[in-house]
Amino acid sequence: MIPVLWLVATAYKPPKDMFSSPPTFIFEPTLHNFQRVFEVFDVWSLLKSSIIISVGSAVLSLLLGVPAGYALARSNSRYAIWVAYFFLAIRIVPIIATLIPFYLMMRDIGLLGTWWAVILINTTLNCAFVTWMMFSYFRSLPSDMEEAALTDGCTLWGAFYRVALPTVVPGIIASALFCVMFSWNDFLVAMFLTNMDSKPLSVALLAAFGTKDITWGTLGALAHFSTIPIMLMALFLNRYFVQGLTRGVH
Amino acid sequence: MAASPASIRQRRSGLRFTDRRKLFLFCLAVPAVIYVIVVALYPLAQGILYSFYDYNLLRRGGRMVFVGLDNYVELLTDATGQRALINTFAFTFGAVFFEFIFGLGLAMLLWRDGRFNRIALAFLLIPVTITPLVVGLIFRALLAVDYGYIGYYLAEWGITSPRGLFAGTTTALPTLIFIDIWEWTPLVALILLAGLKSLPGDILEAASADGATAWQRFRLVILPLLLPTVFLALVLRMMDAFRVFDSIFVTTGGGPADATNSLMVYGVKQGLQFFNIGYASAIGNVTILCIAFIAAVFALLIRRADVRANET
Repeated sequence: MIPVLWLVATAYKPPKDMFSSPPTFIFEPTLHNFQRVFEVFDVWSLLKSSIIISVGSAVLSLLLGVPAGYALARSNSRYAIWVAYFFLAIRIVPIIATLIPFYLMMRDIGLLGTWWAVILINTTLNCAFVTWMMFSYFRSLPSDMEEAALTDGCTLWGAFYRVALPTVVPGIIASALFCVMFSWNDFLVAMFLTNMDSKPLSVALLAAFGTKDITWGTLGALAHFSTIPIMLMALFLNRYFVQGLTRGVH
Repeated sequence: MAASPASIRQRRSGLRFTDRRKLFLFCLAVPAVIYVIVVALYPLAQGILYSFYDYNLLRRGGRMVFVGLDNYVELLTDATGQRALINTFAFTFGAVFFEFIFGLGLAMLLWRDGRFNRIALAFLLIPVTITPLVVGLIFRALLAVDYGYIGYYLAEWGITSPRGLFAGTTTALPTLIFIDIWEWTPLVALILLAGLKSLPGDILEAASADGATAWQRFRLVILPLLLPTVFLALVLRMMDAFRVFDSIFVTTGGGPADATNSLMVYGVKQGLQFFNIGYASAIGNVTILCIAFIAAVFALLIRRADVRANET
């Protein structure tokens, strides 16, 4: 717990106590660091980038992954399980193996430096994750309800959309949560694929870290913005969060 | 006899119902498959191709020269490459070992449902949700010798060298392992806890009614039943620990003297800072092979454990 408390404390510390040696434990809290953060960074634009990237990738991943997971779980084909394993395998590929060719690819089609580049590459891992997770959710549910709906005159799409989908809402929430968290926390991909206008919070944090006039206090204040949204999300939806942890991989 | 709605629709569409269903499911799956092939598999294949070439973007003209397996040979014989490989394995096994021990302990402690435990559980989520980058920064500040709360006193009392934990070639890697343990033990505990909660209650009751001691119950009943969850937690953490990047990058950047260089850090430096595409691709491919190997070993172990559990 101490490291977290430190992060919070540092953000409210006045600059003179920041680098005192030995470190001081008692100080007068101030909002000075937050002021500085807004002077040095365009916090809202950074926040906007982070949100666009993580939500964009989550939406795209769900649109691709949920139907695919359903199809693989309901298909009688013996290839279905292999396709599902294929998605699982994609999830374990380390980013370094695809990032360089992807970087060159984006450069060639002119998407380098845009949100799209980051969203597209994050979506590969997220989509693989969602597909596998929804596959395991749908497979654990009997298909009786959909069969009944079909004999009652429901279309195939209707059986999927109106009957099957509502039963896996917890799974969809859990998937979305993990997609957002994954993209939000990433900085390696974003660092190389975005430019000044499109960089998210995480990249700004890293860049800020190297510059002279940024103190730990300013950094701590900026870290508030990058940490609190995800933490709140996980705390409020913690039932789904834990569910996602245990369902998503086996 | 009244015709069922399904058979009416069959006649109208001309296609047999099962065929239409197959087509429908196929259409649902295809976008995701195509997407992953284009955006993941294609770059992956290109990366494999690049790894057989000497290809540097910064060189004028950027010509690719076929060099066969040279990049791989260099990685495995070069001192820096070997060090990165050894560091990555040491980091993975060191971190995951302690995360498992501590995580199992925490999960056992929090097993019982109670108010205190529910609150403790919420706190467990916090380290997992903090951006790994921020975790690295926090520890970097805490361990700094001149103003960090921990680093200052460790150095002042002579426990560590006056230059701090990250500056020592022997202490830097263990420190990074410690950070990883701090960040991810809660996750292991949460996964194991979910496994414990899904254990069948009647078997546990039967075991305690038979007069088994706590240790016997743990070793003979709980652990075998928990085995699939244990493997799940281990595989998940190992694969992620093997890809460690964020915490190393912001604390030591691979130094001092390559003491904390991991495959990922080495690969990113070579590929995206020096634009040594061929060599970096080889590093990436070796990382994939290692992770696949770890995953395969665990898959085999799970199968064997399953067989054993079914026999008894």
